[in-house]
Amino acid sequence: MDFGFSEQQRDVQNLARQILSDNVTAEKLSQYDDYKAERFDRELWQKFAEAGLLGVAIDDEFGGMGFGFFELGLLVEEAGRAIAPLPLISHLISAALPIQQFASHAQKLAWLPKVASGEILLTAALSEAYNDDPTQPYLTTAKAEGDSLVLNGEKANVPFAHIADRILLAAKTSDGMAVVLLDPKAEGVSLSAQQVTTYEPQYVVSLNNVRIGAGDILATGMDGQALIQWLAERTTVALCAHQLGASDKAMRMSASYTAERKQFGVLISTFQAVGHRAANCFIDVECLRLNTYQAISRLDGGLDATNEVQIAKIWAGDVGHRVSYAAQHLHGGTGIDRDYPLWRYCTWLRYNEMALGGSAKTLAKLGKRIAAGQAFCS
Amino acid sequence: MKVEFTAAQDALRKELRTYFENLMTPDLKAECDEAMGEGGGPLWREALKKMGKDGWIGVGWPKELGGRGMSPIEQFIFVEEVMRAGYPFPFLTTESVGPQLAEHGNERQKREIVPKILAGECLIAIGYSEPGAGTDLASLKTTAVKDGDGWVINGQKMWTSLAHFCDYVWLACRTDPEAAKPHKGISMFMVPTSDPGWSCSPVHTLGEVRTNATFYDNIRVADDAMVGELNGGWKLVTSQLNRERLSLVNFGPTAEMFNNVVRWAQNLELPDGGKLIDEAWVQMNLAKVRAGVEALKLVCYKQAWAMTEGNLEMADASAAKVYGSEFFIEVYRLLGEVIGEASLISRRTEGANPIASRIERLYRTASIITFGGGTNEIQRDIISAAGLWMPRASR
Repeated sequence: MDFGFSEQQRDVQNLARQILSDNVTAEKLSQYDDYKAERFDRELWQKFAEAGLLGVAIDDEFGGMGFGFFELGLLVEEAGRAIAPLPLISHLISAALPIQQFASHAQKLAWLPKVASGEILLTAALSEAYNDDPTQPYLTTAKAEGDSLVLNGEKANVPFAHIADRILLAAKTSDGMAVVLLDPKAEGVSLSAQQVTTYEPQYVVSLNNVRIGAGDILATGMDGQALIQWLAERTTVALCAHQLGASDKAMRMSASYTAERKQFGVLISTFQAVGHRAANCFIDVECLRLNTYQAISRLDGGLDATNEVQIAKIWAGDVGHRVSYAAQHLHGGTGIDRDYPLWRYCTWLRYNEMALGGSAKTLAKLGKRIAAGQAFCS
Repeated sequence: MKVEFTAAQDALRKELRTYFENLMTPDLKAECDEAMGEGGGPLWREALKKMGKDGWIGVGWPKELGGRGMSPIEQFIFVEEVMRAGYPFPFLTTESVGPQLAEHGNERQKREIVPKILAGECLIAIGYSEPGAGTDLASLKTTAVKDGDGWVINGQKMWTSLAHFCDYVWLACRTDPEAAKPHKGISMFMVPTSDPGWSCSPVHTLGEVRTNATFYDNIRVADDAMVGELNGGWKLVTSQLNRERLSLVNFGPTAEMFNNVVRWAQNLELPDGGKLIDEAWVQMNLAKVRAGVEALKLVCYKQAWAMTEGNLEMADASAAKVYGSEFFIEVYRLLGEVIGEASLISRRTEGANPIASRIERLYRTASIITFGGGTNEIQRDIISAAGLWMPRASR
């Protein structure tokens, strides 16, 4: 049991925090509000690439730093703290990682160096209408034709589909699941924009007899199933890490605010009711932090982490919800004023809470595992 | 960061689990049940001595103090396993006062008392609260007055748990009534309960746990009964409490109870043929407990790790105490709901289900540690001030 960061982990954390605090300001973020501009800071993306951060978990033979999933998780946590306008989770965790883990050498060579350099953008289609379980796609199907696949169906909530070079996507097949890299410009693909609560560009991706060549197929059958399970756990934990950064920051903003705001002639932090609401957030954030780190650590070490990932997501949902409303409440009207930066945290905390399944649904999944004898306390 | 047990730690957990399976004989279990989870009986004493002899009580203590030289993490693993086995472990003595004596005690205390603690032959109760001093502990009135080469102690303490079978009370006394701030006039003493001026009377509580009012009537102790410096007791009180807080919320027993309820629910047949565990609401309750226990485990081990690194944060210790104590109350409700009316049946009923009757007892004791060990309001004050740098009102 080691809860300390290694030097390497500290370096990644500090570097990311430095770049983000230098470059992400409330003023800059405001330009993306209400979809006034595309929520993607390409200059910052380039800075991340130049600092090596986009390749933090990409092997060195493909131009990355060759660090592990833990370092990548810390990067996402920092992005959450700053609510950075960068598609880190969809690009790096949902798309690049499974390519590195499951793809052929040729596919890795084709994509990973450009992932690390930021030359291309990848994303993943993990949800369907009213189906936010990536491991159970049923509205998208694939049929083999020669060594190609023909896809039909529809994915929803796909981040940055309109500018992505490839979309990692899973489709149901007769023998399991096919996971492919879809070119959004391919014939038969149509995109329709969705406006979501965080102002992130997201799209419904409709597939009408879309042909995927052998070179863009990552896995089929049971391998496809394994890939998507692998990817779903990592993406879920990445959402937890993002939630951790965002809720920690929202909590600390609130604590600072109460240490400056006076009412009845005294700082409002001196009211016990105020202090205790913040203390509850502190406990909550600590629980989220430790469960998130545990899940990341286990995945990083190649251990089974299904229970730990589900538990982290339950905490991410509950803690995000509670911290969000406590933070707004402690700020009073200031918290909801769009000229003050807190409100954006509220939308992201909600997003991370609901994405890939909220607490109730995840509790139900964990409950099934408990019933099946798969989740005893060791 | 590596949030998993090392192979050696895993092996230690296994070894201890087997050790306690053998140690907890049916007779010992029955005796512990009779003592309502407090211990103090002859078999209980025998078992404690055996743990001492086998070198477990100080597994994480430095070798020069008579321990095995492993870290606080291994020490916590030991406490987790002993409590998981259902043995009422005297952690106040071994985990909180003991280390304080080893660190701040004088030569006699280190020579005579510390080895006995590690041998399982010395038990210590905590004497802080008084009829008029609870949360505002620094207002305590029990006095120690200098008299020749010793001290004369007079006063009354409340909630002196376990005192009726302890050898000493770790007693906070006022030694300077004129101190500028009340907490700067307090010193710690090790007071033997064998003194004729010492007496106690039982206080029976909701959960059937016995606690005590203890009385100190002209007790004369030598100079070397004092622990640490004259008027320097407050620091010892607060660091003892920091250590106590971690032990109070040990997750071992809850993890064990969860596992037992799951196994029970997997086997219980419902009137319409299914098993209780297949009910959606049962799974929901169990999942809430499971997610909560996981957090408790991590909170505890993070602190054991922080102690190993020598940087236990006050806010973290308080957060663990608040989270754990309030979570236990939820656990006994959520698991009680799963078991249903059977969770109201006392273990004194013939044929009572031991899992259910344990919950029947524990829900009655659960409130103790939301206020005991430093009330949760004060813990939250500590968290917002020390963890979030929020200025607080002066008291």
